[in-house]
Amino acid sequence: MTLLILYLLASLDGLLCGCRTAMGRCPLIRLRPYYVAALLRGFLAAQVASLIAIIALVLVFLLTAHRGELRGDLEIAARRMLWIFLPYAATVLSSLALRLLSSTDIRSASSVFLLGPLTAIRPVLMTAGVLFGIYSARLWETRLPGLIVLALMLAVELVLNRLCSRRQSLQIQTLV
Amino acid sequence: MPVLLPFRRLAHLTEDQPEITDLIVSHDPGTLERLPVRKESVLDTFGSFQNRQAMAAVRAIPDHNGFLDRVAVDRLLLTVHWEMQRLAEEFFHGHRVSELLGTVISALRAQGFQGPVRVVDVGCGIGYVIRWLAARTTLPSQEIELAGVDLNSTLIREAARLAAAENLPCRFLHGDAFSSAHAAHIYLSTGFVHHFRAGALDQLLGRHDLPDTAAFLHYDFRPWRLAPHGSWFFHALRMRTAIARHDDVLSTVRAYSGDSLIRASRTALPSFSSGIYGANIWGTPLPRVFHTLLGLRRNLLPVFRNFLGVRAGGLGEML
Repeated sequence: MTLLILYLLASLDGLLCGCRTAMGRCPLIRLRPYYVAALLRGFLAAQVASLIAIIALVLVFLLTAHRGELRGDLEIAARRMLWIFLPYAATVLSSLALRLLSSTDIRSASSVFLLGPLTAIRPVLMTAGVLFGIYSARLWETRLPGLIVLALMLAVELVLNRLCSRRQSLQIQTLV
Repeated sequence: MPVLLPFRRLAHLTEDQPEITDLIVSHDPGTLERLPVRKESVLDTFGSFQNRQAMAAVRAIPDHNGFLDRVAVDRLLLTVHWEMQRLAEEFFHGHRVSELLGTVISALRAQGFQGPVRVVDVGCGIGYVIRWLAARTTLPSQEIELAGVDLNSTLIREAARLAAAENLPCRFLHGDAFSSAHAAHIYLSTGFVHHFRAGALDQLLGRHDLPDTAAFLHYDFRPWRLAPHGSWFFHALRMRTAIARHDDVLSTVRAYSGDSLIRASRTALPSFSSGIYGANIWGTPLPRVFHTLLGLRRNLLPVFRNFLGVRAGGLGEML
């Protein structure tokens, strides 16, 4: 169950990374199809990251000499990560919900005062969450996949950003 | 003390210096033909202000024989303007313009004005506001002609391309918005008036006194103590190009206070009532990111106030 929640949070993070990296790169007005594609791209990137994380986890399971102990250790570490990630995700989703209100002032303020700072602390929070999770782990076999997951989570946005940047550059080169 | 970081970082931004985009593109004022720009002279300008941030951004632009590479500059401008559109999207700028513009148009119609109303966005860049109004409002079906005018032919071409891509009922024109060919009933702009310093602001406003012009709505950053720091933080997070990060923050430093705008407007345009709209949030002391210099022909003011209804609280003194 804990791993499933972590997977769902990673997918949510991927969706938002997809959206964020696409912003400011399409100057049309009717942007729904563009952002749907961006969200899908982010979701797919999160699935690739999750798949790599699962493969790493399986390899660790196959190679470890403490298979019986590892399951419990991983479960505890993952549960500790949720203490950081769940409140963060709840705050992000609440901030996004504010954008459903009709007031342009509230919607603008949600961007400046909530979503902006929440984006700023994302890498720090990701690192803190994973480190907090694996801090009390007894096995290196728990710590290693945790660090791999952290690297993957941070890489998702970097890779998406690079892809979007490349595509934008090519598009602008065709215009000028 | 990380909280001090933005304050230290902004020390080089002073209101007496130009923005990078003011200098890397130059036009002949008569023919509007693009002129070559010597890289060293741009660097010298920012060097005189000890603005290393701007100098680094300019140094990164390729040059040929000492002149900025025009293609590189144009690509950069498009990248910056695409990125800046995000700012307008995040601040729901189209909604804000639509709300006030709709009220002005209603007042104009109520005064008996018939026929097409021509709305021109001055210095429209890639035309976000005009395209938004064309795409998201019913203005085009109400005999409202939406047009954007800019001196920069690259940006105008891009605005026209984008409008065509979405089949939007609006036009984009390269030229002088206040010339007889492009004169409007209503002028609007965003982040434009602060580019006109000292006497140039009075001159710009004075040019609104055309026979057909009934109103103007100029949106610009509302200056207050924390605005540059908030802008720095927002741009550090959201913007990717060095020029957007520099120019948009400098804009909040250069932006005119409401009092300065009103004073200039009332001096240059005695036949208009002018004032500031939407300076604060919901009548509290909390400042909005943008405020609007609003000017109306004097006969429009009473009916405009009526149409504003409860929103009249956001309208400052109109004289």
